[in-house]
Amino acid sequence: MKLTPTPKNTSTAKLSVFWSSLRRNPMGLVGLAMLAFIVTVAILAPLIAPYDPKSTSGITSSDIYNPPSAAHLFGTDDAGKDVLSSFILGSRISLIVGFFAAFISIVIGGVVGIVAGYYGGRVENILMRVTDIMLVIPDLPLMVVIIALTKPSLFNIIFVIGIFGWTTTARVVRSQTLAVKSRKFVMRARAIGAGNMHIIRHHVLPLVLPLLVVQAVLTVSAAILNESTLSFLGLGDPTSPSWGQMLNFAFGRGAMSTGAWWVLVVPGFGIVWVVLSLTLFGQGLEQVLNPRLNTHHLMPGKPTVQNGRVDLDQEKGALLEIQHLSIHYINEDKTAARAVEDISFTLNKGELIGLVGESGCGKTTLMLSLLRLLPAAGQIVNGKVFFNGKDLTALSEEELNTVRWKEISIVFQGAMNALNPVRTVGDQIAEAITKHVPAMPHDKLQERVTELLDLVGIAADHKNHYPHQYSGGMRQRAMIAMALACDPQVIIADEPTTALDVMIQAQILELLDSLRKKLGLAIIFVTHDLGVVAEICDKVLVMYGGVTAEYADVDTIYNEARHPYTQELLKAFPDLTKPKKKLSSIPGYPPRLDALPAGCRFAPRCPIAFERCRIEQPSLHAVGAEHFASCHLVEAVQ
Amino acid sequence: MLLKRLGWALFTILFVVILNFFLFRILPGDPARQGIRDPRLSLETINAIRVRFGLDKPVINCFETLNPIKIGSCGVNPLDTQFFIYVGNLLKGDMGTSFYYNRPVEEVLGERLWNTILLIGAGQILAILLGVIFGLFAAWKVRTALDYTALISGLVAWSLPTFWLAIILLFWGTNMGLPIGGKATPGMSSYPFMDQLGDLFQHLFLPTLAYTIIYMGEYMLIMRSSLLDVLAEDYIMAAKAKGLSTFQILKDHALKNSMLPLVTIIAINLGFTVAGVIQIETVFSWPGLGGAIFESVGRKDYPLLQGAFLLIAICVILANLIADLTYSYLDPRVQVD
Amino acid sequence: MSQEYFLEVRGLKKYFEADRASLFSREPRFVHAVDDVSFNLNRGEVIALVGESGCGKSTLSLLLMGLEDPTAGSIMFDGRDITHLNDHERKSLRRKIQMVFQDPYESLNPTQTIEEIINEPLLVHGIAKDKKERSGRVIKAMEDAGLKPAEVYLNRFPHELSGGQRQRVVIAAALVLEPEILLADEPVSMLDVSIRAEIINLLAELRITRQIAVIFITHDLGSVGFFADRVAVMYLGRIVEIGAVLEILESPQHPYTKALLSVIPVPNPRLRHERIILQGETPNPIDLPTGCRFHPRCPLAMDACTSNDPPFITLSKTHQAACLLLK
Repeated sequence: MKLTPTPKNTSTAKLSVFWSSLRRNPMGLVGLAMLAFIVTVAILAPLIAPYDPKSTSGITSSDIYNPPSAAHLFGTDDAGKDVLSSFILGSRISLIVGFFAAFISIVIGGVVGIVAGYYGGRVENILMRVTDIMLVIPDLPLMVVIIALTKPSLFNIIFVIGIFGWTTTARVVRSQTLAVKSRKFVMRARAIGAGNMHIIRHHVLPLVLPLLVVQAVLTVSAAILNESTLSFLGLGDPTSPSWGQMLNFAFGRGAMSTGAWWVLVVPGFGIVWVVLSLTLFGQGLEQVLNPRLNTHHLMPGKPTVQNGRVDLDQEKGALLEIQHLSIHYINEDKTAARAVEDISFTLNKGELIGLVGESGCGKTTLMLSLLRLLPAAGQIVNGKVFFNGKDLTALSEEELNTVRWKEISIVFQGAMNALNPVRTVGDQIAEAITKHVPAMPHDKLQERVTELLDLVGIAADHKNHYPHQYSGGMRQRAMIAMALACDPQVIIADEPTTALDVMIQAQILELLDSLRKKLGLAIIFVTHDLGVVAEICDKVLVMYGGVTAEYADVDTIYNEARHPYTQELLKAFPDLTKPKKKLSSIPGYPPRLDALPAGCRFAPRCPIAFERCRIEQPSLHAVGAEHFASCHLVEAVQ
Repeated sequence: MLLKRLGWALFTILFVVILNFFLFRILPGDPARQGIRDPRLSLETINAIRVRFGLDKPVINCFETLNPIKIGSCGVNPLDTQFFIYVGNLLKGDMGTSFYYNRPVEEVLGERLWNTILLIGAGQILAILLGVIFGLFAAWKVRTALDYTALISGLVAWSLPTFWLAIILLFWGTNMGLPIGGKATPGMSSYPFMDQLGDLFQHLFLPTLAYTIIYMGEYMLIMRSSLLDVLAEDYIMAAKAKGLSTFQILKDHALKNSMLPLVTIIAINLGFTVAGVIQIETVFSWPGLGGAIFESVGRKDYPLLQGAFLLIAICVILANLIADLTYSYLDPRVQVD
Repeated sequence: MSQEYFLEVRGLKKYFEADRASLFSREPRFVHAVDDVSFNLNRGEVIALVGESGCGKSTLSLLLMGLEDPTAGSIMFDGRDITHLNDHERKSLRRKIQMVFQDPYESLNPTQTIEEIINEPLLVHGIAKDKKERSGRVIKAMEDAGLKPAEVYLNRFPHELSGGQRQRVVIAAALVLEPEILLADEPVSMLDVSIRAEIINLLAELRITRQIAVIFITHDLGSVGFFADRVAVMYLGRIVEIGAVLEILESPQHPYTKALLSVIPVPNPRLRHERIILQGETPNPIDLPTGCRFHPRCPLAMDACTSNDPPFITLSKTHQAACLLLK
């Protein structure tokens, strides 16, 4: 990454980043504005209140429960006092109780959470048991009992709300502390020689703090709600009338029967205003600190379009034919990331093609697009996918559902996540069959599931086990069994052996290879591992930055590579047959798909790039029979 | 595991019993001492209380009284102290005598317990049902007008003070001609059963509505966010790749998985729902346990207050136990043997 | 053996207590994570510890770092027993032995700047109180780790750097203490293939320029050839074969080493060869197999293997393997 020196003051930099993301969060902003308003009102209360609520001079019996008028904007109450003035001064009580009680809660909860999470063991056990008890015991009745038995003063109310409001914070902080503690940088700090206090101060606190702030905001709102409830139940401090108490008086002194709605609505509105402002602000903060994409797999995809920059060929009669496929990710701000550009390849029956590339080169995007499983932001902007003469990009969702799994199935990367954790493995395999062969009787179905598991080397008694009861290798096998369930013609294997041990990897590769021979499957094998490709593939497509770097049969790729990326990648790969050979690396890093270089995408890292490479994107040149490379140098040779 | 959970629930109940006893003796306003001076009680009742609570006896070993603290002999027979007499009475089902009603506490609360369970039951079921449905649609149609509407109304509902919503509903209900309080119209008991039932529904309508609105918002928000997490999982994409329809995926792969966090939250929240019930029962004069707490505070009817608190706490602990067990039944990753 | 080594590990064991089989079984069960491991290391030497997951290599690294206490055995460093140390001794030892972790995305605190990260070890150890001296050491460490020019990186946060650069930051944070042993736990397995070599080459360079001995822990037997002097192959908590790198790669003697070597993909389709694929998975380290712990999966297992735990057979001055077939 190209880096320029940054401004010296990093803490203000952190704050400005935070502020700029909060500014783009409508929820947080509205909450903050609402909160700022009510806090201003509370601070200026004695100045802006039209009447003094404590004074009774000049009030006569005709002033009782007067509806809103010019003199009393929000009417008068049961004692003939101005509701607006009581409302304005009441805001102070709510905010004071809210902030101080929340302060107590956050301190207790934060300390309990961090101590329990960080030290673990017996300390954690005891602290969390206490928290559990506190959570289960209904807090309001207990608060009522305590305040009823003592004196209902402001101090008592703050104290009681404070000591009952820490449990949620303690739980949240504890789990965050546990998460932070298990992260490698904490272990690294220990390896450096740092003690517990240092680690808590420099590593745990900075990562728990944002959460604590969110929690503080939410705790303030809960405390304000609690205060209003206690006051409404008649347990408020009689010397400092709050909104809850206003409601208590109104409700208990006939506002209902006289129809004096304003006395009931106004104070409640104040409570809702404050609590809502804090809730919105808290939620907004949470979203800023913990951004979620809010997208999922069931959102409607973007329709396929044919921008037609490249003329499409006619169908040639292979089993699967990908022609000039381009995929973009359209972001919120309308910039497009060109994830895949103009990729073509064919796959015949029984053939195994390797799709090789580094992380972020677009290989997974390409695979998902074949069955139109792209995330909501992804769009096929050009190209065709012919399968047995049908163009999959043009099918309706219902038509596509008959092709999915029945004809083309997928072995997903990371089988743990691709299996539903709360359903048994056998059940999930059976589900695929039932979908495509609904008429199959139950006993036949179960027989078939057993047979499939047997095919991948899983004993039948594991059929009714859940994914978490399987080991990593077994889950990958189960995933393969599932992919085979409907006798598909093509299997897409997306990094099926990544994160597995070498021996398990060898087992899975052997399994796929034997299944291919036994069942005549065509397989697309997606991987970043050149060695694995060399072991089993027939032909190889090397991707770089979303485009085809080189496409040829496997022998050509390894022995007569023409693209500098392929050549460099091979040099970076350790070769057991030449154990003492020094490995070379490719300097730099792959391009970001939303910030692609102007010319050749490999040019910034290419050892032999020249002027033209930085300006013009090379097209794909045929350099031999079924051998293609996208490099200006290849063109020059021809 | 099951035994462990059961043991834990029992331990918590024991803790509540101890807390309930000592709280009233540490804080000013000992119920027994207060009660004896209560002019509403007859002399016979006072004497009966004295004997039943063993008020002439020390609070517990080593302590004569706790407020003010007066050290006593540690050598007394523990069974002859106020604490163990209290526990013994509880075990016999004797919770003392209400000052106000001048009837045994367990009798007064017994009727009210069922009313509260009826209200909470109806309210919770509706809140969960509607919360799940709305949350499901909001998450499925994320970032659409439907989602934003659900999100904002959820947050507003979450911010409403329960008692205030109840007041507003009551105000509205009065104008609509709905019954404004209690559980039944006076004199209803002579009418046919179906009429009585209809009358009960009319009375139940507003309190249940208030309860449902308050908790539905929260459940919807939780359901929405947990379903969003689930729907972004790889196994949902796998289900889509299998050719399953959206409806099938939601039903077979998303619903159960996203309900799990909701069950936990419901279990955790049971303690807080009681707060809602107290407020709703107070506003609608619903004759339940929550109302009993409010009333006994005003009437300084401490035995009833103590009894109501204990009963509510036990109910919450048991409900929490049930939610816990449900969770482990639903999630195969948690094992109960 | 009377020769004194720089680092000498003897009979090291670490058992963790496992969950009991059921509520009613009294006997605690143990995970035999590391079970009788011995090896030694010379000044400036590179040894590779190779094995699959569950072989105990990660636990071994924690033991060597003093982040876990061994159940039995001893570790001698520079003639001194460092098996059990008090906090103070442990802390001063940490300056000598430093560690590089597997995942450079996880092993840096996202809220710290690069300068704070590399400065932290100096702060913890109270080295170089003078600010100028400290920043000099930080910059020296960064440049030795290939982060040049250092000024560009100082105020950056980890997320602004690429994976390779982050791993360099981790290495710089270790170098700043001027250690004598660097323990590298799978330092490249999370990186893209095209940049793995640059980290390995950096470690190889440091060993020459700074005379640092390296313990290189990896699952990839294929990547050790260029860099390591010696290789130890681990299986189920034990070293099964140890030898000079070419002895292991070119004439492996233990059936497990042979199998492991045979399944490493060779990036040339013309050299596709017969692979020895072991069936099943590594057994769990709670109920260990009797006799040779490799026998249930060994293609050459004999009757004797089920009952006799094979001792180490010395094959050359540097090469040893534990297999009954070698008698």
